[in-house]
Amino acid sequence: MTNFTINGRAVTSEADGETPLLWVIRDDVGLTGTKFGCGIGMCGACTVHVGGRATRSCITPLAAVSGADITTIEGLDPHADHPVQRAWRELQVPQCGYCQSGQIMQTVALLKDFPNPTDADIDAVMTGSLCRCMTYVRIREAIKKAAAAMAAADHGAQA
Amino acid sequence: MLKRLLVVLGVVVVCAFAFGIYAWRPAIAPIQPAPASSFSAEQIARGAQLASAGYCETCHTAKGGEPYAGGYAMDTQFGTIYSTNITPDVDTGIGSWSEPAFRRAMHEGVARDGSHLFPAFPYDHFSKLSDDDVAALYAYFMTRKPVHAEAPRNTIPFPLNIRLLQAGWKLLFFHPGRYQPQAERSAQWNRGAYLAEGVSHCGACHTPRNALGAERHDQAYAGAAIDHWIAPPLNGSNPSPVAWDTDALVAYLSTGVTRYHGTVAGPMAAVTRGLSKLPADDVRAIATYFADLDGAATRSGDTPAILAKALQLSAIGSGPTADPAARLYATACASCHYNSGEQVQPLRPELSLTSAVHLDDPTNLIQVILFGIDAPDGAPGVVMPAFGRGFSDADVAQIAAYLRATRTDQAAWPDLEKKVAQVRATAQQQD
Amino acid sequence: MSRVRALAEAGHPLSRRRFLVTMAGSALAFGFPRLADAAMNPAMPGNTPMPATAPELSPDLWFSIDADGVIRVNIIRAEMGQHVGTALARILADELEADWSQVRIIHVDTDPKWGLMVTGGSWSVWQTFPVFSRAGAAGRIALIEAGAKLMGVAPAHCTARSGHVIAGGRSLSYGEIVRRGGALRSFSADELDKLPIKPVAERRLIGQPADALDIARKVDGTGLYGIDAKVPGMVYARPRLPPTRNGSKVVSVDDSAARKVKGYIRSLVIDDPSQTVPGWVLAIAQSYPAAMRAADLLKIEWQAGEAADLSEQQLQEHARGLVDRSDGGVRLDVGSDETASAFDAAASTLDQVYTTATVLHFQLEPLNALAFEKDGVMEVHTGNQWQSLVLPTLAKALGRPESAIVMRTYLLGGGFGRRLNGDYAVPAVLAAKALGKPVKLVLTREDDARFDSVRSPSVQRVRMAFDAKGEVQAMEHHACAGWPTKVMASPLLAKGLDGRYDPFAISGADHWYDVGRQLVRAIPNELANTGFRPGWLRSVGPGWTNWALESFMDEAALHLKQDPVAFRLKLLDGKGRNAGSAPNAVGGALRQAEVVRRAAQRAGWGSPLPKDTGLGIATSFGQERDMPTWGACVARVHVDRKSGAVTVEKLTVVVDAGTIVDPDGALAQTQGAVLWGLSMALHEGTAFANGLVRDVNLDTYTPLRIADVPVLDIHFVDSQQVPVGLGEPGTTIVAPAIGNAIFAAVGARLRDLPITSASVRNALSA
Ligand code: FES
Ligand code: FES
Repeated sequence: MTNFTINGRAVTSEADGETPLLWVIRDDVGLTGTKFGCGIGMCGACTVHVGGRATRSCITPLAAVSGADITTIEGLDPHADHPVQRAWRELQVPQCGYCQSGQIMQTVALLKDFPNPTDADIDAVMTGSLCRCMTYVRIREAIKKAAAAMAAADHGAQA
Repeated sequence: MLKRLLVVLGVVVVCAFAFGIYAWRPAIAPIQPAPASSFSAEQIARGAQLASAGYCETCHTAKGGEPYAGGYAMDTQFGTIYSTNITPDVDTGIGSWSEPAFRRAMHEGVARDGSHLFPAFPYDHFSKLSDDDVAALYAYFMTRKPVHAEAPRNTIPFPLNIRLLQAGWKLLFFHPGRYQPQAERSAQWNRGAYLAEGVSHCGACHTPRNALGAERHDQAYAGAAIDHWIAPPLNGSNPSPVAWDTDALVAYLSTGVTRYHGTVAGPMAAVTRGLSKLPADDVRAIATYFADLDGAATRSGDTPAILAKALQLSAIGSGPTADPAARLYATACASCHYNSGEQVQPLRPELSLTSAVHLDDPTNLIQVILFGIDAPDGAPGVVMPAFGRGFSDADVAQIAAYLRATRTDQAAWPDLEKKVAQVRATAQQQD
Repeated sequence: MSRVRALAEAGHPLSRRRFLVTMAGSALAFGFPRLADAAMNPAMPGNTPMPATAPELSPDLWFSIDADGVIRVNIIRAEMGQHVGTALARILADELEADWSQVRIIHVDTDPKWGLMVTGGSWSVWQTFPVFSRAGAAGRIALIEAGAKLMGVAPAHCTARSGHVIAGGRSLSYGEIVRRGGALRSFSADELDKLPIKPVAERRLIGQPADALDIARKVDGTGLYGIDAKVPGMVYARPRLPPTRNGSKVVSVDDSAARKVKGYIRSLVIDDPSQTVPGWVLAIAQSYPAAMRAADLLKIEWQAGEAADLSEQQLQEHARGLVDRSDGGVRLDVGSDETASAFDAAASTLDQVYTTATVLHFQLEPLNALAFEKDGVMEVHTGNQWQSLVLPTLAKALGRPESAIVMRTYLLGGGFGRRLNGDYAVPAVLAAKALGKPVKLVLTREDDARFDSVRSPSVQRVRMAFDAKGEVQAMEHHACAGWPTKVMASPLLAKGLDGRYDPFAISGADHWYDVGRQLVRAIPNELANTGFRPGWLRSVGPGWTNWALESFMDEAALHLKQDPVAFRLKLLDGKGRNAGSAPNAVGGALRQAEVVRRAAQRAGWGSPLPKDTGLGIATSFGQERDMPTWGACVARVHVDRKSGAVTVEKLTVVVDAGTIVDPDGALAQTQGAVLWGLSMALHEGTAFANGLVRDVNLDTYTPLRIADVPVLDIHFVDSQQVPVGLGEPGTTIVAPAIGNAIFAAVGARLRDLPITSASVRNALSA
């Protein structure tokens, strides 16, 4: 039995501790925004936040998240209006969209550590997130746009 | 000829007899467990801290079992030893143990019934504990919930399983006695040494052992293999590029995370959880002791230069690259383990600084890549996923070799792929 | 015959003729019943459409208006990243003079009334444009007439704009007209065909920026892909794949180890009358992780098919032997194929061989399908690009008529041609039938790669003959590869001079250069056709033909000591069969020359460059002469001589795709296509080994990542010509541009794709 919270909701899972977190989230909790791409931690489609850090859920055993706080794309913002999501819509980033939950979760984590990321930072941190439709040009632009929006909001909040 | 034989036989008999006298310990009469009210709340609380700092629960609790009820399996080079029940249950635990019996076990490694304990129970360290601290521990354990649980039988083969023979081991390797402060050292240093040498028994993991399983005091804290991990050296031979100064050690021991040394992993996770119950002063004292052993005071001047180099190394392979190893690293690892700017972020452990990449033995690095770090371990609430699920041995070996080559100046690790297979296999056996 | 027409006239019960007739015939129907639960609206959470407010009128098959004035446009194409619903709905809405905010898109299921359902070939906009324009125009005329009647004015005094019929100062909304039961006029098929389409100047939606309707649900996690489909009571299945794609038989299955997995139900040997998945065994379980684990633990003995030892080398050697022979294969009708005399008389000739390796689709969503029986109908819920192709196969597998099978198409987590081949639906329906309950089949990534209908490896030989003045006299292009169309949709094979050939495996070789006598020969690699199932992969044939053609054009220019741009411009003279024709290819080769000229100019062709840095150009007309999308790319690369590493610094791309319906979508498609081209040039490629592909996941298969993206300069020619496809053309111009740029930088000629550091080093030392 494993207890954790997901998007603020307490969850108890009876699944085997070895079960990849991804499938617990998708099939048991029923949040299918988190996607299955490679199953080996190398595409990023399954990225969620565990304790605020971007984590590949496909290779995270359920037992590993005992007591942890998990956030998925569905829990990022109650109105799907996180500055990163907004930038994604404004720049029309997604094509097939399948990788985008992961890209967005990874970006939110990136901006926490690098509020004003350089291209090199984006390259390094986002390279783990494969976009087979190759929306990379827009992903990069949207990251910068979101960073600027968040900086402006911060600034506003401080003023 | 016959005469000589008889003499030898005589000597043997005499020695055996003498040894028997030496080795024999009387049983201490069983008691009715003392009522909880006979212990002060303060003493119990102090005992709780010490029990935590000695990680008693880690070894005396079976996987998924009741706390302190024993049955935890320890693989040793001699066989599997199961820990005992130390709840105050009269039949299967230590409910019938008087305080002197408990103290004798702690200080001399002898059970209430007079049998010798295996040194898997680190009485060689606990012997250093003051009588007061032992009394506090006794108070704590006697006020736990009694659990009726018989430990499984050990698998130590004959003749090593003869308890009496343990006395011989003691004769050779055990030096009983309380901790003796070193006058030329500060009170804080001595306090740290007392805790580290005693209840926290750091040497049990970090000091190499001889063929008979005894710590080699000539190589105290030189690092050792334990539970399929490497307990890194804590002395001057520690390979971390940045010296372990007192602040780093405090952070590491109390939170499991440091900026320049990554997070705790493997068996060490239980240690930080245990030490977290100690008063902050005590943790700092332990840190002071080890910062001294590491020679941090003399090494720490280089930190800015080391850091600058580390940040430079961190960027290797994170841009466009055709090197397959670099691509593997960039796609699988860099999204977390990448730092830039002027500072390393503690939750992005900087692999050019962590000991796992710098140790002579790649085991720790392989362990972490294969099996990750769970939320309760390492940085609390945060997870490193388990890449062993999808990675082949060759993939893991490639990443390890790549890190070794690009993040350190050290020699390449030999036979990496085989090593990965080994680590994977041992872990699977454990399940 | 073009492959587009071939496709439309293929084995599907609805021929193109009937397709058009059906469409026109239903144009008069009102409010026909629709399976509301079969449809998908990508703008809604969970993609579930809102019900219409009655009454709902459908002036024709393609859209309806309800009492709130909400317009539902029916889309038969699959949404796989091209925002196709948005682009198509805007065509209809523009003619309808609809209020865009009232427009919803509905992706429909496989009711026969929709006719041929396929999404591929970059055809969607091009094929739908005339149909949807007229459907919208008919609606507008009908609404104006009905509105005029309600207002008591003459239709001639009314106009339509923004969802209203307007007469002087008065107006009626479309919703009101519907509410008040305004009867709509009907059109005969002929009338419909003759309806005028608005002049370009009056377009209000086409060509204007618009947010794609599917995007919001793709950033909040509520869009539903095939892998997200579920129904109560379903069990999960994961296959264990046989040792060969074709011809494997199961000898025995021992599931004793699998039985220890919690949630494991049973194993199932698939008995497939359609022979789509011979030798498949499924592990069935209560959860997918259990099915995954259990499948690994099944001990299965197979009798492997013939291709058990198949290797990349065998495939290439076999093809190499075929291109070197003068017989075999099928010659295309390209005017004059008698080239021997020109080669005999030539002052000089050039003869080169080019190869490309096996490429995986690696669409990010692994293959999956949910199947179950409901009310006597087998429902298949999945993502698919060519429902009309797989339905007959499903019918054969199940032994029931197509009318008792329906496919519901979810969002596709990438198509790229993989889901044109719907083979993965077959084991799902067979398992649902065998177990009598809903089965959700999901392939792991490794399964997906092994079961991929890969892009076949290819070998091509290209030759050219020159006279003493350096004029091109003749050219031959012999291309050997697996023929996906032969294997999966043989009625679509095209007629050549001496037999039928796969147009998808040769298009691109029948180029628009004026080269005198020309021979284009398509040769099937039967080792590929039988050894695995070659597939259509983004841009298909030109993915390899253009690599050979455009690399060769540079070699020819070098041979003549001419500038590669100037050489191409000279041959793109727009004469004879290259003059182009209405409606799709107006301007012909001259439009191709124009994109070449512009790309060269934008990229600074001819200006000095740093050491070991070079520019290379390549051009293409897309996939087929019937529907050319003109494109040119200049690559700027730097080569590290020591390691052989190639860094692509910049790609300059100019595209002329006629009218651009959705500018931002067009840019997105081209960005994606160009980067696909780059990925296949430098980062992808696998090899067959022992019957299956060697690289099955991202640890060794390494598509382009964000760090590899160069500067992109993409420019569209402003045009009012017929809109043509954009999803694929960008892919095929990148690899040869890079190859040519490497040569310009360091003098190393690469003739094999993908280009690796090792091959560059080899070429440098050659
Ligand atoms: S599915 Fe988890 S990283 Fe690819
Ligand atoms: S948008 Fe399709 S994979 Fe990224």
